[in-house]
Amino acid sequence: MNDFSELEGQLKKLRPLPPSENLAERIERALAEPTSTMSTAGILPRAARLRINWLSLGVSLAAAAVLLLFARFGVDRPVKKTPTIASGTPSSIVPLASNASEFVPVGLTQVVYHTSDEGLHYATGSEQPVRRLRSHTRETCQWRNPTTGATICVSYPSEEVSLIPVSGQ
Amino acid sequence: MMSWRRLDYKDREEVMENVATHEDWKVCFSQLGPGLVLFARNWVRSTADAEDVVQEAFVKFWRRNHNIDNRALLYATVRSIAIDFIRRDSRRARRESDAVAETEQSIEPKFAMEDESQQALAAAVDGLPGEQREVVVMKIWNELTFSEIGSALGISQNTAASRYRYALGALKKNFVSL
Repeated sequence: MNDFSELEGQLKKLRPLPPSENLAERIERALAEPTSTMSTAGILPRAARLRINWLSLGVSLAAAAVLLLFARFGVDRPVKKTPTIASGTPSSIVPLASNASEFVPVGLTQVVYHTSDEGLHYATGSEQPVRRLRSHTRETCQWRNPTTGATICVSYPSEEVSLIPVSGQ
Repeated sequence: MMSWRRLDYKDREEVMENVATHEDWKVCFSQLGPGLVLFARNWVRSTADAEDVVQEAFVKFWRRNHNIDNRALLYATVRSIAIDFIRRDSRRARRESDAVAETEQSIEPKFAMEDESQQALAAAVDGLPGEQREVVVMKIWNELTFSEIGSALGISQNTAASRYRYALGALKKNFVSL
């Protein structure tokens, strides 16, 4: 690079012509204009895009599949340890406070985020095997006061064990 | 009315450090304006078009950044808008291209030249391949590092340095033979 030091010195002696005097005024006016009139030319940082969380999507799909499985075998389940609030519809949720007329239940969601198949088991005194499924869920209940618009949201984890009879073939 | 300040190259590095941390766009632009317009002239042939490009690029850049810490992004913005400018008006580009092919002397000067040797040197710079010329312009008259040049052009730092060396080699060869 030292071979070019003299040439670089000569190049630096060349002075770029200054912009016209009104360029700064034009920029000042443009900066004062609303931003919505400007295009981005695809260079400047763009607005954040919605990113798909594939893990969450997978868990959600798995949860939906498990719920469908439960719905299919639900009538055969011999044991059901279901909390009252988890199995209820929004209209059946018990009002939170004593002044129940003020808060009305508006939503109940149950998200299954983990399930495990614990294999076949024989219940005590039974000769028929059952498959034990354990699911971890998070249930969220929401109440709303229609007068004030205030909302109360309660979220808690829950665990459910399902025993599904298995018939041998 | 803004007055353009010429940079003393002995203090250029210090000046650029101050500019890089200054948040007043007028101060930043007064320092960078000539170099930015020269950089835009790599793609457009008239000073007026180059100033339009620089105006659009600087406004967009400043609205998002409010400083010029990321100079590579500023020059990338100028470059992108200049290319977009040409694509937007293909007839203009063709006309300019034809004009350039017909008579090189009709191109507006880019430098304030003092003698014939400087004219010859400026002509030699104009005769460089585009990808080498843009690196030389960014390095010599805009004082960007090879890392910044690489970021602005989407090439590696080594490629930028290599193009710079090739350009200076060609200039040295041509300029000596003039």
